[in-house]
Amino acid sequence: MPVPEHGLTISPDGSTFTLEMQNVPVVDQPRWPALESIATPASMTFKMVWKTTGEPVKYDDPSRHFRFTGTRATCQLEAQIEVPSIGFSWKSDPLSTSKADFAIMGEEVNGRYYDM
Amino acid sequence: MDPLTKSLAHFSRRGILKSGALALLPFAIPSEKYAMADQQPMTANGGTDPYPIPSLDKNGSHNQPAGPNLEPSHIYHFKGQVARSSTFTGMGTDNQGNRIAFGSPTTDYGVMQGEYWAARATQQGTFTQI
Repeated sequence: MPVPEHGLTISPDGSTFTLEMQNVPVVDQPRWPALESIATPASMTFKMVWKTTGEPVKYDDPSRHFRFTGTRATCQLEAQIEVPSIGFSWKSDPLSTSKADFAIMGEEVNGRYYDM
Repeated sequence: MDPLTKSLAHFSRRGILKSGALALLPFAIPSEKYAMADQQPMTANGGTDPYPIPSLDKNGSHNQPAGPNLEPSHIYHFKGQVARSSTFTGMGTDNQGNRIAFGSPTTDYGVMQGEYWAARATQQGTFTQI
């Protein structure tokens, strides 16, 4: 989905990406990917921060026409969820208490830009 | 009464008015044609929405897990900054005071900012997959 203006902030040296969005329409689907899982309208407010570790990463796949050049990263998330129809809400602990097992950040070219 | 006379006898004033109104329609159509001619010709270039990754959308999915040697971007014909992350671990509290953990391999986020190609032109945009 499109990110509103100022939703993504990239530090001048490119070492930190901060993505913040408010009241994003999503669906609450606890039993996904079960076929009969019920999807309930919900909204999500979140902040996510990627920080480079400095460890280089490069993927280059000519058959799929993509090239990524960047670094591994840490990524942390804080979020708040509202599911009004069932009177449910949930709020995460502060950003610093979360972690992601996998994160990368950098630059990519794919498709028509791959051979340029 | 011969057939022609019988037919004319059935024309009423209202019928003539109807016929007259219908007779004007052919004259109205050319003005419509002129109105269309004033419009700028349009080319079917498609929308400015980004293209999905071709190798992913064959099953209707525009996403794949974030991981080593997997394409980070969710959009094709793209050049720019990208970040991906997955498999979060964290905790939170619901409105009943229950502590509920979040995070799994499918807790997968991505953001892309830069140039992409759509509608036969370069576009600029920032997109996220959450």
